[in-house]
Amino acid sequence: MTQTQESNETFRVAVFADFTCPYSYLAVDQIDRLAREYDVKPLWRPHWLHPDTPPEGVPRENNADTAARDERRHAWFKEMAPEQYPRIRFPTKRQYSFHAFEALEFACDYGLDFAFKTAVYDLMWTEGRDIGEIETLMAAAERVGLDPVELQIALVERTYAERALDAVKQAHRIGIMNTPTIFLGRTRINGWHYYEVLQSVMEKQGVRPREALAS
Amino acid sequence: MQQSYIVDSANAPWKRSATEGITFACQVLLSGEDGGPEALRFRFDDCPSVYAHMHLTCQFQLLLKGAMDFPRGVKHLESLAIHYTDHNMPYGPFAVSGSHDMLVLHPRAGGIISMANLDARRKINLSGRLFAALAADAQWQPLPGVDNAAYIHLMPPGYGPAAVVTRTPAHAALSMPAAEFGRYEVVLEGSVIVGGQEIGPPGFRYVRGDQAAEPLVTGDNGASVAFLTFDRDALEGGITGEGLSVEAAEAMARAI
Repeated sequence: MTQTQESNETFRVAVFADFTCPYSYLAVDQIDRLAREYDVKPLWRPHWLHPDTPPEGVPRENNADTAARDERRHAWFKEMAPEQYPRIRFPTKRQYSFHAFEALEFACDYGLDFAFKTAVYDLMWTEGRDIGEIETLMAAAERVGLDPVELQIALVERTYAERALDAVKQAHRIGIMNTPTIFLGRTRINGWHYYEVLQSVMEKQGVRPREALAS
Repeated sequence: MQQSYIVDSANAPWKRSATEGITFACQVLLSGEDGGPEALRFRFDDCPSVYAHMHLTCQFQLLLKGAMDFPRGVKHLESLAIHYTDHNMPYGPFAVSGSHDMLVLHPRAGGIISMANLDARRKINLSGRLFAALAADAQWQPLPGVDNAAYIHLMPPGYGPAAVVTRTPAHAALSMPAAEFGRYEVVLEGSVIVGGQEIGPPGFRYVRGDQAAEPLVTGDNGASVAFLTFDRDALEGGITGEGLSVEAAEAMARAI
């Protein structure tokens, strides 16, 4: 094992994000790619954007202002994420994310949290499902090989509620203000950024892609 | 070395142009070709998405008319508003509307580079600052030493770069401290007399040096003036003649 490989093992990558944030959804592909291209194990942690949202969600207003805002937002995503944009389905309501945070803790206990978060984002942002509903989280569990019924029981009994809340509080304690906030080793990146930025930060800290390590 | 440029925008020619399909009219008020400041005035046609880009120097955008909407981060700006970025700090895409009119003010030639350029993405200044504010959100305060005068901070004191707007009656002398890294003094309303000439909106003076510049003196109808002061970031970046900066300079030259 090379020295760089050893250092990669301890190179920490953590993302604080809310499933309901579209910019965090864009970061999913990037962080998944980072995990494929570098010898790192990213950690996905919750940052609760709208704790005031009730479990049933909050319908979005429909008026001239929101229509204009939507047009601008679509233009932004079309330019900034041309590959993802055609499959994004913007939700018609602001969804409740805390159950998904609880489910993330459940998945963490089985070492499947990284795959689980991708399944949750996909269900919400490309399949138009409501992640405030337990059935959606069960579907995500099934996709990554977790027992959906066991997750259902854990969610109904609120087994992971305290842990999820502690995780949310941890994000507050360390001053997370943006979703996503990405930690790459010593560097903190507030908000979504281009993949080339992540690559450049890795390079600056001496972390080389797997391909370069293999050659 | 003291630098001082006085620009009467009213007499600068307009040119219709386009960049990456975005259409606008522009005035080149200071070209930056002498190594000094670069100042441009843009009137974008209404557009839902002006492409994401960055400049290689820090920048003040002073929104004189209309609106700019940033779907992510800054959100909605309506004149009078300020948008500041450090060098190599990307912003956009953003929408422009409502008879847009703005000044783009750099301490030196800053070029422009689209964020579609993958090399540019690797040169992003991750510790760069981005700040935006509306004048309407600021609280006017009496200006010490001048009767019936007031000022607002558009950027919080101590932030680094500074943006202050003053509103003063006729024949008031506006003295400012030396501007080590450069300062634009933009007339927003009324007129000021400086260097023996009277300039109206949105004319300006750019000063830089370790000596305080001659005070601006307000004209017969008083004046509102924006003082936009750079900090040390004004020394960073710029058109250096290497790869990306050559592209950025060429892109700006094509655009204007």
